[in-house]
Formats: sequence, C-alpha cells, structure tokens
Amino acid sequence: MAGIWIFAEKKELVLELLTLGGQLAAAGGGKLTAVVPAAEGDPADYIAAGADEVVLLSPLPEDMSLAAWLPVLAGEIKAADPEAVLLAATSRGKEIAARLAARLETGLASNCLSLAPGTDGDALVMERLAYGGAALQRVAITGRPVLATIPPRTFPPSAAVPGREGSVRTLPPPPADAVRIVARKEKERSAQDIAAAKTVVCVGRGLEKRDDLQLARQLADALGGEIGCTRPISEELHWLPDNLCIGLSGVQVKPDLYIGLGVSGQIQHLTGLRGARLICAVNRDPNAPIFPAADLGIVGDLYDVTPKIIAEIKKIRG
Amino acid sequence: MPNVVACFKWVVDEAYIRKGAAGALDFSAVDYKISEYDRNALEEAARCRGEGGKVTALTAGGPEAAKGLKDALSRGADTAVFAGDPAFADLDSSQTAAVLAEIIRTLIPYDLIICGEGSGDKYAQQVGPRLAENLGIPCISYIQKLTVAAEGGRITAERRVEEGVEVVEASFPVLVTVLPEINIPRIPGVKDTLMAGKKPVRTVKKEELPPLGEAKLKTLAMTAARLERNCELYGTAPEDIARFVAALQQKGVIG
Repeated sequence: MAGIWIFAEKKELVLELLTLGGQLAAAGGGKLTAVVPAAEGDPADYIAAGADEVVLLSPLPEDMSLAAWLPVLAGEIKAADPEAVLLAATSRGKEIAARLAARLETGLASNCLSLAPGTDGDALVMERLAYGGAALQRVAITGRPVLATIPPRTFPPSAAVPGREGSVRTLPPPPADAVRIVARKEKERSAQDIAAAKTVVCVGRGLEKRDDLQLARQLADALGGEIGCTRPISEELHWLPDNLCIGLSGVQVKPDLYIGLGVSGQIQHLTGLRGARLICAVNRDPNAPIFPAADLGIVGDLYDVTPKIIAEIKKIRG
Repeated sequence: MPNVVACFKWVVDEAYIRKGAAGALDFSAVDYKISEYDRNALEEAARCRGEGGKVTALTAGGPEAAKGLKDALSRGADTAVFAGDPAFADLDSSQTAAVLAEIIRTLIPYDLIICGEGSGDKYAQQVGPRLAENLGIPCISYIQKLTVAAEGGRITAERRVEEGVEVVEASFPVLVTVLPEINIPRIPGVKDTLMAGKKPVRTVKKEELPPLGEAKLKTLAMTAARLERNCELYGTAPEDIARFVAALQQKGVIG
C-alpha cells in the first residue's frame, strides 16, 4: 500500500481531509501525507491530527498563484505513487485536481459526498451529485491514483492526538507560471461567514424590491444569523453579491437553521442547503418545490409572515 | 482580435427528470438543452471576439447532440464544429477533453478557449482544465470577469477564490472557465435562429480522430437523490406563528 495524499490550501480544510484520509489509511491505505502551504500553521498540528508526513509548499512570490505548484505536485505524486489523492473542492483545489488528473492520466471524482473502500476491485467508491442535485452518482476510478475533490465542511476536522510522530519536508518554489496575479480583492466579512453561519435567512424571487431586503435582515438579526439569496437575486437583479448565492454552483451551507423567504426551491438551490439541520420555508405558493424539501413550512405572504415571526422571536427573547 | 473557441455540451434538462420506482431516475420524458453554464461561455465568446475575430462553437456528443448546433450558432458563434459519433455519446471528462483537444489542435485556429465552469448534467468541472493541459496552454478557472487587452495578445481575468478575487493576466493562447455571473446570456430571436441555419457546421467522425482512450471514471449507479423531508405546515394566524417559533425553539435552533 503506497498511502493516501491530501492537499488543501487552508488549515481547516487540511484538518477535514485528515479525518477522511485517516479513515482510508486505517482501512489499508498505508501512510498519510498532507501537502500544505507553509504559511498555514505548524506542521506539528497536522502530524498530531493524523499526518505521517507533512510536505510544505514554500511561500510563493506575490504574483504567483497556487496552481503554479502543479508540475512539482505531479512529479511528487508520480514518485510516491499513492493509492489516492484527496483535494479540498475549493476553486483552486478543483482546478489543480482536474489538471493533475490530466497530467497523471487518471480519473477524478469531483465534489464527493462520501468515499469508501470499494469492492469488486475498485480501490475506492465515491458518491457525488449529478443533474443539478436530482441524482446521486456512485463512481469509481479506473486509473491510479484515485483523485477526488471533497467540498469544505463535508467532514469534521480531525482531532489532535498528542505524542504522534511524523516527518516534515519543504518543497522548493516552483518555476514561473504563465498566469500572473496582478491584484487581489478580499471579500466582505459577512460574505465570508455565510458558509459557516449557524443560521441563514435566504431571500428568493418572492421578494418584490431591493429595499425589502431590510425585512430579511431584520429576521436574520433577530436570529443572530446571516443573509443569503437564490441565484436570480444575485445574478439577474444584483441585489446581493454573488458570493451570497446559495446553490450547487454557489455557496453550500450547513446551518442549524435555514429559513427561505419567497424561495421557490429550484433543485440547484436545494442542493446547496441539503446539509442544513432544519429547513423552513415561507412561500405564497403551496406547490412550491421547497415545501417537500423542508421540515417546517408556512404557506403565506412573506410580507405578512416575516414581521410576525420577528415579533414572536423578540417576545421569547424578552 | 482574438479567435475564440466556446465549448458547450448538449445535456438532459434536469427539470424533466422524474423519480421512478425504488429510487430509479426516469428519463422517459426528458428534453435536452445547451448546458446553462455553457450559454455563459458562448455569450462571453461573442462579447470578447471584437472586430475581425471569429467564434467557433465546439461540442462533442452522440448524433442527437446535432440539435444543439443551431442553438449555439444562434448565440453569436460564427461557425460550429461537432464531434458527433455514437461513440461520443457518453464520454467521461478525460475522453471529452482529449477529443476537443485533438479537434482544436488540428482544425481550429485559436487564441482563447472559453468553457463553462461545469456541465449541467454531471457537473464534474473537469473538461476545461483538462483541455488546457492536453493543449499545454495556461488555464484560468472560475472567472467572473474577462477583458481582452486593447493591444491584443493577452487577457486579464477576475478569478473567484475562497477569500475573494484574484485578478490575473495571461498571454494567448489561454483557456478560461466562466462562472454564471460573468454575463447574462442572450435569448436568441427569430432573426438569430434564421441566420444560425446558414452558418457552417463541420462534423468530425470518430474515424477522423486518434483512437479514443479508456474512460477513467466509471458510473456504478445513478439513483434519485433524497431531498425530501417531512414538511410540517403552519398557518399565518398569530397563534400559528407562535407555534412555528415554539417549534424552532423546541428543535434547539434558536436560543
């Protein structure tokens, strides 16, 4: 067994992949190797969390993107010949994974919800969504290594075990890349929080005008949550930034509580909140597809219902 | 100005997929469409072609995908190339990228290749980056804005990453994958559709290309995803709302 490799750009994502990688390594995958940018924390933390080897990517010049590591990574993986390489399904991770798959002439299972050792000669069997989230696709990879990307927050972070031992090595900077970064823009704080928010109030097409976002915000404030939207609100109406759009190709949220206001429930949107603990919907249309996918529903006008909910929450909160 | 290749896929319209018995998927009533994300790719290609550039719409699929060609040509492309063969009906990402790369390399002069961020059916999000690798050209994925330099020869793109946006530059030839927010695709009018029927289409058969490699990804099963929950419905009277909020409290999601 030649081991499992994981790669992610941020510490929390590395720890999540160590949970999965640890499971697969324990099931017979051998050594667990974590590839991490050197700036992302102390390698000892990754060793404590399950890595047998930490491969650090030395800091890149300002104008170089993470994908510049591609030729180096491809060479390292080829030499180590692991059973599987697991990457966090971030924008960067997904691009690097697909390009690695091309270079290594192997297959990649994208955006996997689960991975397990296979039977019938398949090293691993993965589950992922297809057709906008309407279908669950079970796949296996015929090449080697098995490549897979895993969306953030699919697995809990791996807990530290004191006293674990492992090795650390640092890769020298990669050669110059044809793509040069000329500027970086950080997104607003609120937008960074929606994916991790405990409560999400989401607005859909049922909202009549931009000013009415205020109503959704009041509900979110009353609940201590964040605000999100469906694709038409961000893409067509531009009432909220694109990075608040919840859905298959937008942000995937896993809150304790999701409340959709005037959200009809297109499959691509519902897929973005399938990890929510409790899904609530307020919609005038009793046939809106969000209701069968919700735990609690109110068939009614959001303009009538929302202020009542806010008042009731305030009553409880005193 | 640049010669642009816009890649698209003719896919099942997921809105028509029904749930059959025992979690099976029922495709019997489905219709087909150009994958939504690829409409953004076609639109962006038409937008940044400028004066003197040419847009080629490129797709691979089974013979039935021919229906998508006129649609693609009504969205601003000048010409279409169709890798159409029964053998191309259900390719995996590695095979699709290999077929498209071979056709682009041998048949289409290009500066810029635009793909959607993923396809509307399998959404593997691989063909664009794999195609760039197969052609040995730079790849910029998940972009929300694209600018072709006034003097030509290179592009600037805004790439969406986890913590915000990276503004990047690359010289031609280059491949980009576009996010849906990059533009609003046109809805072709009658005139567009009429003109599309007169535009040239080149069909490439399996025999004209090197042998197709093995699929690297195999589908073991495809079943209906379970999104259903047991929705408890509440009314809108104040006492109903009070019960609703009490239910939230009881489920421990509000403090």
